[in-house]
Amino acid sequence: MLKTSLSAIGFALILVALLTAALAALSRFVDVETVTIIYLVPVLVAAIRGGVVAAVITALAGMGAAAFFFYPPIFDFRVHNSIHLVDLVLFIIVAVVTGELATHVRAARMREQADVLREALVGSVSHELRTPLSSIVGSASVLAQTPAIAADARLASLVQGLREEAERLDDHIQNLLDATRISSEGVRPQPQWVDPGDIVNAAVEHKRRLLVAHPLKVVVGDDLPLINVDPMLIERALGQLIENAVKYSPPGSPIELRAEPAGASLRLVVRDVGTGLTPEESERIWERFYRGPRHRDSTAGSGLGLWVARALVVASGGTIDAFSAGAGRGTTLSISLPVEPHDSTFPMDRSDE
Amino acid sequence: MNSPKPVVLVIDDEIQIRRFLRAGFELEQFSVVEAENAHEALKAATLRPLDLIVVDLELPDLDGSAVVERVRAWSTVPIIVLSVRSSEAEKVRLLELGADDYVVKPFGMAELLARARAALRRQSRAAGAEPTIRVGALVIDLAARTVTVRGARIQLTPKEYRLLQLLAQHAGNVVTHQQLLKDVWGIRHTQDAHYLRIFVRRLRQKIEEEPTQPRILLTELGVGYRLAQAGDHAADARE
Repeated sequence: MLKTSLSAIGFALILVALLTAALAALSRFVDVETVTIIYLVPVLVAAIRGGVVAAVITALAGMGAAAFFFYPPIFDFRVHNSIHLVDLVLFIIVAVVTGELATHVRAARMREQADVLREALVGSVSHELRTPLSSIVGSASVLAQTPAIAADARLASLVQGLREEAERLDDHIQNLLDATRISSEGVRPQPQWVDPGDIVNAAVEHKRRLLVAHPLKVVVGDDLPLINVDPMLIERALGQLIENAVKYSPPGSPIELRAEPAGASLRLVVRDVGTGLTPEESERIWERFYRGPRHRDSTAGSGLGLWVARALVVASGGTIDAFSAGAGRGTTLSISLPVEPHDSTFPMDRSDE
Repeated sequence: MNSPKPVVLVIDDEIQIRRFLRAGFELEQFSVVEAENAHEALKAATLRPLDLIVVDLELPDLDGSAVVERVRAWSTVPIIVLSVRSSEAEKVRLLELGADDYVVKPFGMAELLARARAALRRQSRAAGAEPTIRVGALVIDLAARTVTVRGARIQLTPKEYRLLQLLAQHAGNVVTHQQLLKDVWGIRHTQDAHYLRIFVRRLRQKIEEEPTQPRILLTELGVGYRLAQAGDHAADARE
């Protein structure tokens, strides 16, 4: 950064010197007022290449050159004409403003380049890692069906493990991709009317493999309001809450899922009877990369799951909360989503209502 | 079409994926033709009669959707798309272009075979066979236009029946929200998804044992609905 602005200043000063020489040679043909405007050229160049500091230094140099060589008295830094003084002040202001603008333009351009790079990386990581995983999962599934392996319980369990581990890896990649997308481009929900029960069922379906070790109770009211959200985002967020419940409660302990109305919102709740939250953990679990000190060494995790869940829910206009009566006393995680009225004047034929 | 072994064209640029698809289909007595890009695929599709096409979404020369579109211009052969996660809009687009169904990578062979068999069955139903659809305790008689659950006739409104009929005609395969809205309520109502939701809920109350945990009328989140098919649960249990 410093290097670029130094080289920009150097370049601009050389430009000032060259212009001064040229203007001096042409002084008979060039009006003294025009001189000021011509000195704006190196200022703009310095602004674009080096930012505000470079622009101001160049402006001072240009102003000095104009005062010394062109404004009467010539070969003297003093300036007699008050109009020229005004010119010089304006000159500095223009330098600062253009420098500022150019800095913003440059920052935006650099951000854009970083985004393009990140996108390309995310895209290629996604493709390069997932294609082999698809081959592994697919091949394992075919192997599992061959008579030789199906007949041998030990081999069959190896093949099943192969497949499940590959699928787990794919889940991790998905989480990383979600996290990267959230921090680079933000979340862009595509809302549609959806039955909350469908979201709960899809999340359970997705996490079924994780849930096998826990008695699961799903309570979905049969007259829940429809919600207008991006169902995929809420399903992924709920999936993260389920994953969290599985991770921090002992195998065999029950997990409960609910979808219920709560005032003007709809609430999706995941409740476990596991390790619970200390007051510090309650406060910090939504932070990116936060891992509770009690679990850091014993439970694998990235500290991204709940942060991702929160980002997805907040982008959907909802809120996400955690409640625990304390360490060892279970955790209740919940997502609240706004319920808006929908257009109920839909025309139906008589037999349909 | 009446060859002893059904012929499947597998289109994917990844050799390892083609390899397991070939093995998986051959285990199930399919005859397999491979193509590694869209041009080869389109050539293969014109050279011989096919019973099924399995096409990857990302091909080196053309988008998989272009293959779907071109094949659909002259053939009704069932097409299953190999898709990636997080692209519901893309899936919907492919289904509207005429694909019969999709599986999301990574997928197991049983899942793909279930989708493929459903599409093949629809093809033979279109030819007049199999006028009744059975899913668990539900029987839909498309010829008599009757619906029974555990032998007892249930009353559906015309629109409910039309919805169920559409899903039954594609039993085992997904039908998009737009398709359902267009066919049941008309072209002007393709954006009125909330009505579809309410109708599906009502229909589930009539045909499902536990309407909030459906086993027959399944939701494909963000895409559409799917009527389960016999054997679907085995596939769901992932081998």
